[in-house]
Amino acid sequence: MFEPEGRFYLRIDWTLMLLIVSITGLGLLNLYSTSTSFSAPLFTQQIYWIFLGFSAFFITATIDYRFYDRVANVLYILGIISLVAVLVLGRVFFGSRRWLNIGPLVIQPSELMKIIIILTMAHYVHVSPPKTDEGRSLQELVVPAFLVGLPALLILIQPDLGTMMILLLVFFSIMFLLKMRIRSLLTMAASALVLLPLIWTFVLQEYQKSRILVFLDPASDPTGEGWHIRQSMFAIGSGQLFGKGFMAGTQSQYQYLPAQWSDFPFAVWAEEWGLLGSVLLCSLYFVLVIWALRMAVTTRDRFASVICLGVGALFFWHTIINIGMVMGLLPIVGVTLPLFSHGGSSMLTFMIAAGLLMSVSARRHGL
Amino acid sequence: MRRMVLSDDSEFGRKYRYAFVFVGVVFLILIGRLVQLQVVYGAEYRELSRMNFLQKINLEAPRGLILDRHGNVLVQNRVAYNVFITPRFFNERAFKKLQALIQIPQVDLDYIQSKIMLAEGRRRGFSLLALRDVPKEWVLILESNRDHLPGLDISTQEKRQYPNGPMASHALGFVGEVDAEDILRHPLEDYRERDWIGKFGLESKMERSLRGRRGSIWRVRDARGRVKTGPDALRWLPRPHQVAPQPGFNVVTTLDADVQRAMELVLAPIESGSAVLMEVETGRIVAYVSKPAFDPNEVSGRLTAPRAAELYNHPLHPMLDKVVQGTYFPGSTYKVVSVIAAIEENLAEFEEYHLCKGWYEYGRSSSFRCTHAHGLMNLESSVVSSCNVYFYMLSERVGMDRMARYARLLGFGTSPGLGLNHEKSGFIPTKQWYAQKYQEGFRIGHTLNSGIGQGDVKTSILQVAQAYATIANRGSVMEPQLVERLTDYRGQTVQEFAPVVKRRLDFKPETWDLLARSLDGVVNNPEGTAYKARLAHLRVAGKTGTAQVRAMRKEPGQDPEETRWRNQDHAWFVGYSPVERPQVVVVVLVEHGGFASKVSVAPAMAILDEYFKINGARGQTTP
Repeated sequence: MFEPEGRFYLRIDWTLMLLIVSITGLGLLNLYSTSTSFSAPLFTQQIYWIFLGFSAFFITATIDYRFYDRVANVLYILGIISLVAVLVLGRVFFGSRRWLNIGPLVIQPSELMKIIIILTMAHYVHVSPPKTDEGRSLQELVVPAFLVGLPALLILIQPDLGTMMILLLVFFSIMFLLKMRIRSLLTMAASALVLLPLIWTFVLQEYQKSRILVFLDPASDPTGEGWHIRQSMFAIGSGQLFGKGFMAGTQSQYQYLPAQWSDFPFAVWAEEWGLLGSVLLCSLYFVLVIWALRMAVTTRDRFASVICLGVGALFFWHTIINIGMVMGLLPIVGVTLPLFSHGGSSMLTFMIAAGLLMSVSARRHGL
Repeated sequence: MRRMVLSDDSEFGRKYRYAFVFVGVVFLILIGRLVQLQVVYGAEYRELSRMNFLQKINLEAPRGLILDRHGNVLVQNRVAYNVFITPRFFNERAFKKLQALIQIPQVDLDYIQSKIMLAEGRRRGFSLLALRDVPKEWVLILESNRDHLPGLDISTQEKRQYPNGPMASHALGFVGEVDAEDILRHPLEDYRERDWIGKFGLESKMERSLRGRRGSIWRVRDARGRVKTGPDALRWLPRPHQVAPQPGFNVVTTLDADVQRAMELVLAPIESGSAVLMEVETGRIVAYVSKPAFDPNEVSGRLTAPRAAELYNHPLHPMLDKVVQGTYFPGSTYKVVSVIAAIEENLAEFEEYHLCKGWYEYGRSSSFRCTHAHGLMNLESSVVSSCNVYFYMLSERVGMDRMARYARLLGFGTSPGLGLNHEKSGFIPTKQWYAQKYQEGFRIGHTLNSGIGQGDVKTSILQVAQAYATIANRGSVMEPQLVERLTDYRGQTVQEFAPVVKRRLDFKPETWDLLARSLDGVVNNPEGTAYKARLAHLRVAGKTGTAQVRAMRKEPGQDPEETRWRNQDHAWFVGYSPVERPQVVVVVLVEHGGFASKVSVAPAMAILDEYFKINGARGQTTP
């Protein structure tokens, strides 16, 4: 196996840098628009988290990504321990147990698990290449499936359906793009079809089922979930071509949007900046995902490829699910918009993810 | 994009293209959805989001007052507080709070809750009327807890108030909430649910003047129902965002509250009947009573079904305006018609005498009787002592159709023109009518009955007042009038209604003279039927009348006392004063009162007496 040894010359990926700074900056602008009329210190909080996020980004990017290969196992074990700890010691907010106090810090291990699972998969793919030229067989997927299945289950117990789903989607994205036997792929697709109704019956909670049902027919529940979807669609649609203007969105300013800082910031943005602003923001995410994919394809070693792929998938699914949800294309799940939503855990996760990408990008051109 | 250099070691050699395509397609779907929402349906969503926060508040125009001729308030408005709830904003906690604040068994909170729960979809954004006309103390309690009661609004509504209760209730009328039928009947007049509309009396007749024009104001509300007033909120308001309401005009009536009150007092002992006092020169009505009366304060609100049935099915018909809607046999008050016709058509000499033996000889019939044998009677004395026999003779001579013609000239048989409460025209029969109505056709007996105001002649008391006003003013048939003028809310006159002469009757002076002499004799001649009730200090001329009631069959289970009462005749008196230069005419009808001179003359005299006392002018005293 070719192991990239020796030195790289560090080259800062300015495209990536610009994308991250733009998205974060627009998110901050958007938050400013809606938070000034409220007493909660949302805006200053977010500045603090962005500062923290960029620090994490730079630290992650500075460290040679091969270091993560070495510590992947340790991180995975720590991640599992913290997930178990959350279930035992965690604090309950809004009916689910997601947060863990470590000294003065409140962390959300399930968020960090998103990063850890990418590293774990990368490590696994790196150390065990496909046994035949035909591709990986189903047996070869048992170990990674278990590696993902365990944290996914722990997160589901919290319960945090959104995060679990993201974990699985990232996993499947990586698996799909690996060299697989055709037969294995078909088997996987078939078992998914069998699993879906089982998940519906045994795994999903009532409120989750009702969300999906309401999504399919928003008018069926005009006060609850359906009301949220409709108000969000009113906001986006009413932005029309050029938007209602900065700090002038009525849906957001008059609080017709639910959870507008964490889950619905895109609706706020689309209302105030119109189609032009929305397409701009979507394009930034699109370029970011494509940039990560391209890096995955062109980078030298398998570990780095899988990291890029995983981070790309993470950004992709978060973006698609969040925007799809606020536009009434997907059911409502608590999935944030990367780097744009208000909130510390999300900001930190995506900054670290972007840092990984930067770390690979800066080192992939060998001397 | 630069051509990508694939690393040898990559596992993604073959499938990466699918990933790019997939990501591209998914983002295109997002963009497509954005275009659909923001461009294709953008305008609709813009409107929907405006509907979210824009709220139109109607500013109700106060209804005009109704005043008497001296400016005394007869009908006014008071403020009623209604509580409205917007279901979208009114959460479970707010309902609990409301429950805690209002612990009154009379308030059906469960009903309110069910109304809130039943509101669906767009309707959740509309406010519902939860509590009607709540006391002021509650308003203070609710207002001070406003922060805990999102979506609860208290709005004021004008409510009609009739400070004098049942006084002149049939003339003033009452209002009611508009119903679907009213809205259909006035499609262009912007009636809405819970608006008031005049249902009876002047409230109904003058509806267009009394009702003002509604104004409106737009306001911005956030998702929690709080009203926003900042400049950024105001920029969403439609222009103009405020239209001031136009108050209704005040109606100044021709009624005199003091005289009205006095007349009500005089008539207090009378259970059922009506009376009207009218100026003879102008036709202006000074006082207007129909008994039994109703309380418009009660009727203007929401009547319970049993109470409504009680009022509308009452045997004495309190909801009927007996001044214009009741029609009766005019009895002897109708005899003036034959007198006028006889003199005008030169069919009688003043000094022509006729012997009354107590009955009139006509055919085989013995039903044409008199009260007693009057002896020799001429034109004047027969009016004074109300001799039926003389009038059987006279009417036979005048004939049915000639009598009908003169009756119509005096205003009988047609609507008097007051325009109130669907006034009745009464009925004046003709030969032709009898020919069509009865198989045996017209007979002279019909004429004889008509001559004394029986048979098929029907008049309202307002018609009798109008006819005697014409006699008193010597020839001007005046349109009765209840509304003198309209004023705006500052009291400035907007429109004045001058007296209307319907027609001039150019009868011979001796006709008027004989009528004046004989009607004076009714009261002031010792032979007169009203002589006993004459006033020492006020000279009145007039005519008594007794309208026979068709005997009712005794119904099983009916109180014999009531049967006896119901079979008693209606008692009339119509009079005017002062005799030399008459000012007012009064008509009193006591239903089932019995013999006229006993029951209806005295109240009529008292009413005239009160009128002149209040107006400081005295009629001529009797020598």
